[in-house]
Amino acid sequence: MATKEVLDQASLQRALTRITYEILERNKGGQGLILVGIKTRGEFLAHRIANRLEQLENVEIPVMALDITSYRDDVLDASDQVLLDSDDGINIVDKNIVIVDDVLFTGRTIRAALDALIHIGRPKSISLAVLVDRGHRELPIRADFVGKNIPTAQNEKIRVLVDEVDGRDAVEIVHAH
Amino acid sequence: MQRHLILEDGSVFTGEGFGAPATTFGEIIFDTAMTGYQETITNPIYDGQMIAFGMPVAGANGIHAEANESMQPTIRGMIVHDLAEVSTNRQRRMNLDRFLKQYNIPGLYQVDTRQLIRHLRESGPQRASIVDYADDHAFDQLIATVLTNKQVKNTATPKAYANPGRGRHIVVIDFGLKHGILRMLDDHEANVSVLPYTTSINEILTLDPDGIILSTGPGNPNSLPESVLTLIRVLQTKAPMLGVGLGHELFALANGAALTALPAEYHGMNHPIQEIITQQIFYAMQGRGYVVDDQTINHKKMFVTYRDLVDNSIQGLRHRDYPAFSVQLFADGAPGPTEANVVYSDFFETVEDYVEQHS
Amino acid sequence: MWNSTAKHPIKNILFIGAGPNGFGVQGENDAAIYQVLPELHGLGYQVFVIDDNPYALSLESLAAQAFWQPLTVENIKKIIIQANIDTVVATFGGRRSMQIWEALAQDWQDDDGPLPQSLGLANPVVAQVNNRAELSTLLTEAGLPVIESEVAATQDEANELMRKINLPLVIRAQNPIQSHTRQLVSRLDELEQAVAEVRAQSLTAEVLISKAINGMKEIGMEVVRDFRGNCMQVGTSEDMDPIGIHSADSLSVSPVLTVQDPFLAKMRSYAFQIANLLQLEGLLHVQFAVDEARDLIYIIKVSPYFDQLASRVAMVTGYPLALVSMQLMLGTPLEKVYLPHDFNEKMAMMEPMMDHIAVKLPIFPFGDLAAAGVKVNRQLGSIQKSVGGTVGFGRTFVEALEKAIRSAHFNNRSFSPTYMAHISDDELIQQLIHPEDNRVLLFIEALRRGYEVDELAELSHVDEFYFYQLQSLIEIETAVERHPDQADILLRAKRSGLSDGLIARFWRTNFESIRQLATQHQIEPTYKAVDPSAGEFPENAHQYYASFEFEDESTRLSDQSILVVGSGAYRIGETVIGGYASTIILSELRRLQYQTVMMNNNSQDATLLPHLSDKQYLEPLEISDVMAVVDKENPKAIMVPGNRRKLIRALKDLGQNVLVIPKDKHLPGGPGENQSEFALNFFYDGQQAFALNISQHRDGELRILPQTDLDSVDLKDLSLPGPGLFQLVFHQQVTQPVAHVNLADWQHDSWLRPMPFGQIAFLSKATGVQWFRLVVRALLGQLGEGDYRLLAEAPACNVFLNQRMINARTDFQLHLQPEGDLDVTRFEMGVRVAPVEPRSHESE
Repeated sequence: MATKEVLDQASLQRALTRITYEILERNKGGQGLILVGIKTRGEFLAHRIANRLEQLENVEIPVMALDITSYRDDVLDASDQVLLDSDDGINIVDKNIVIVDDVLFTGRTIRAALDALIHIGRPKSISLAVLVDRGHRELPIRADFVGKNIPTAQNEKIRVLVDEVDGRDAVEIVHAH
Repeated sequence: MQRHLILEDGSVFTGEGFGAPATTFGEIIFDTAMTGYQETITNPIYDGQMIAFGMPVAGANGIHAEANESMQPTIRGMIVHDLAEVSTNRQRRMNLDRFLKQYNIPGLYQVDTRQLIRHLRESGPQRASIVDYADDHAFDQLIATVLTNKQVKNTATPKAYANPGRGRHIVVIDFGLKHGILRMLDDHEANVSVLPYTTSINEILTLDPDGIILSTGPGNPNSLPESVLTLIRVLQTKAPMLGVGLGHELFALANGAALTALPAEYHGMNHPIQEIITQQIFYAMQGRGYVVDDQTINHKKMFVTYRDLVDNSIQGLRHRDYPAFSVQLFADGAPGPTEANVVYSDFFETVEDYVEQHS
Repeated sequence: MWNSTAKHPIKNILFIGAGPNGFGVQGENDAAIYQVLPELHGLGYQVFVIDDNPYALSLESLAAQAFWQPLTVENIKKIIIQANIDTVVATFGGRRSMQIWEALAQDWQDDDGPLPQSLGLANPVVAQVNNRAELSTLLTEAGLPVIESEVAATQDEANELMRKINLPLVIRAQNPIQSHTRQLVSRLDELEQAVAEVRAQSLTAEVLISKAINGMKEIGMEVVRDFRGNCMQVGTSEDMDPIGIHSADSLSVSPVLTVQDPFLAKMRSYAFQIANLLQLEGLLHVQFAVDEARDLIYIIKVSPYFDQLASRVAMVTGYPLALVSMQLMLGTPLEKVYLPHDFNEKMAMMEPMMDHIAVKLPIFPFGDLAAAGVKVNRQLGSIQKSVGGTVGFGRTFVEALEKAIRSAHFNNRSFSPTYMAHISDDELIQQLIHPEDNRVLLFIEALRRGYEVDELAELSHVDEFYFYQLQSLIEIETAVERHPDQADILLRAKRSGLSDGLIARFWRTNFESIRQLATQHQIEPTYKAVDPSAGEFPENAHQYYASFEFEDESTRLSDQSILVVGSGAYRIGETVIGGYASTIILSELRRLQYQTVMMNNNSQDATLLPHLSDKQYLEPLEISDVMAVVDKENPKAIMVPGNRRKLIRALKDLGQNVLVIPKDKHLPGGPGENQSEFALNFFYDGQQAFALNISQHRDGELRILPQTDLDSVDLKDLSLPGPGLFQLVFHQQVTQPVAHVNLADWQHDSWLRPMPFGQIAFLSKATGVQWFRLVVRALLGQLGEGDYRLLAEAPACNVFLNQRMINARTDFQLHLQPEGDLDVTRFEMGVRVAPVEPRSHESE
């Protein structure tokens, strides 16, 4: 396996910064905003975006974490269990939700996330922020905020490393032989 | 030959003349950077000004064509502590002395520049003159001198020109740009059109730019016509926009902020700049006589994105509703640190996003 | 999202000291540790220091608990367990302490408890940095330009590599045998023989081939980084001498003058990249090779620890690098670093700007050795030969250079203007290509003989800028010579850094008459502050250097000040100890509530640290410089080490109140091979002598005898110059350590001398009494009752002494290639202490 770094720590940080500005631009500010991070790495990225929003706007944006492993339509024994963590039972009704994930690939994860969200309430809007869009979509899903477009081949993998779990920040392409 | 720098407050600083033996008038400012004398004296933001350099010796690198920030220097005088002699053969074809002579700019060396800078930091910029005799006549002439406020007109291109590339189409509105901007655009393989600041909105929109840059430039931003601000207000809604230096100041004015003239200008590269959103710090060359007045920012319209941690001055702004932002500092380096080059990367990524969203 | 190396709470911090001094290890590491201890103590940490250098100031700091023990893995481990150390600082002690720390980390067992965290550099990174090959791989993988070496086992492989790397090449042995060489191959036909020769020096018959960078320009850059990845450039230095000459032996100039801005900007971003790659907190020194014409930059050395450049950059910029680094290591963000004392509150996060030039001139031991009849190889190369350096400050290069030369003058005999006059043209060319210590004088001689600048620059690989500067120096000297007693010429000469003494020599008069002419025409020094903002902000300056311009920024400190004249540059046999003594003296004067003014020009010790004195003058120490400061400060007294006889005499002649710290001009030589040197050490208060103890010196080792009955030697009729520590010495045929000597032997054959400073330092550590402080008190007539009680009881305390001082093993053969043996006592480079109990396996 050959690995190639496509985003280093600084560029990864900058991508998140740009996404933050774009979210504010599109949302006309931070009001009514909730970030939903898809576990594991999406959650950390969502927290980082929330930190940025706090530095800039001095507002605290709620962050929820969503574990969709049991919600994927391609995972066999999908149960009704919604694995949504948040500190204090955030109400998503009439809120502007931004789903945050590390990589957008086939779109199945996001679809599962949408299902899960709609299951618990009816938000005003849902948009999608991803650090990397690697193409190869199987569903009509498109990210509203993209850190970096990285066209890839099917036999390549995108590995997003975040300091909180991986000890460093990077995005790498792994070529599987 | 002994010559003098006289200031409107009556001070006289004596040194040895170099460059042209001309008598000139201009506003004097100081620069504390240790490198990049050639980049600085050719930067059009100093049009009509005299620069007192803090660096202990200037000229040791000679003069190199690729270090020019404009086609020709338009400063009124260069005051240095010591002037290095270098040979003018082989790779160093030109030296500082000859360079200034060629453009009829006087220089003064063996001046106690530290004394001069300490003086100027208290007094702020002043009218000044480089003369052979520091007599009453010279002072009378200096007092009678009215300095131009047409620096942008003097340095900006009167005619549109292109710098073709294979990438995105970037329109640069020229207020007297430094070449570093074009170098940055070239690094991103942009297809560049440089337009006079008098170009009409329609002409610009006809060119269908993917992004717009408001260039650096000299002088007082308030002296530019209102039409420039209207132009900015319209264009910022049409394509991603980046304002730099004077471009940043105009971007602020166009969005309702006011500017404050600094009591002592800052020209140097050693102040920490903090990016508010990440709290990260970097350094960059700055050259500023004005700052955006904090009190006048409409926070419903703009974010403050960068600040100078030494004087807390605003170093960057961003529009809340459009992909339009600006920086006060020279993000291209030339001279100085290159950490802020990423501002151009940010701009190009914003352009990519914008094109993506609108295709 | 950002890592701090401090993963665990910090409570008990251990500093690993730098150990004995030697080539490349002077007093800078100890000074850095000494400087930060009070700050850490003030922040509530328990601080510990281990070192075995008796000249270590940090071992005497009240802010830390000191372990005066040999720097071994075993000892450090014991301390860690004993004192519950959770955090270790190895980067302040420099390279050697990093290596010891790595060895300890490898040796650490699970049942030893948790391995302490290493501050500034995580433990695995310490190992990475210590290993040259590993570090090189790390940098290469990150896309940074390093010089890679590749291995060739056969001539064919070597040819292949040559085609790939291109000439010129350096060829070294892989797995070398004891004696090996580096071969420079610049022509095709040299390759074969070089490979054959070097293969013979390899145990595996393999050679390492790398790109040769000899002749490129060498640049040093010091940066800092905080735990969030914020980086800042603190200072730069360029070597006048090209790569091929060890940087310590090069004449170095700050700031960089001859490299264009874009190249410096690139080096800066490489340095930041490396700091981020190592995830370090604190400081980093990166050494670069640069060739602007060929658009080449190589990273040639990465030192993420306190070293000579760090120390010098702090001195020449006025930026408190050690204090800032320490806080960054503790996890303080750059913009929140707090500076104590009178520093400008925003200074820590502003990159220092220089509006002056500082020139470091290396000091070589050749003159001193030649005077002692020892011949050594004077040719400069990639192995360090200098033993110290002076720093000259000026507003121009020439002024700074001249002041650096003058700072070295009194102990560098061969630096005379006519030294090169008799050299033949052939020899001159040879030395241009293969430079020796006096190359600046050689360049001047070559210019005098009409060589063209271009030609000289090409032969020597020295930037033409320097030749033009030297040319202007020649012009000034010529003008001085031709126009005696002319005030305008005097001003020009003073502006170029020439001393009154040198001008007097040109004008065949004396220093006083030059001084008079200067006073008549108001040619007086204007002191400029060493101000990191380069004039942008009003500074609260304490450090000044002289220039001859228009504005003088220095005002008299107080009418209660004492001027302390430092020891200047190190020389062989006279290294850190002078600075050590000055530092203690400053501390005692402050304790006695005097305001202190320090004058010195050495960046390698603590004497010029801003918090140790109230004001510092970074100046040469010739009479004209000292008198200029005296005129400004009008001190109550001037303290001068006794070896500066000429200066002392001149100051006294001018009616100054001079307090002399007794000291001989040179270190005494050691006893002969089968001999011991016994010394009866005593303290003289100006009226009465108090015997303290007897020391035995043999075979590079000094110990104090447990003998307590010292009364029988009559110290009454000795003729002593003034208060201080002295010794009565005699030699005997004794090869073993003894416990007692017959004092009757002293009545004949003994001689008197001031106690060498190094022995005072050892005695102070061994007795727990800082004897330099007593000397200061005696000189000022301020010895108290307690002091006299101590003096009376001193001999009785000798039984508790259990340390010995040993000459550090300095590899003179490697560095100086002397013909014959060196007297390691007379030419001491460093010493260490060890417990007295001799262990059977220890070989000294």
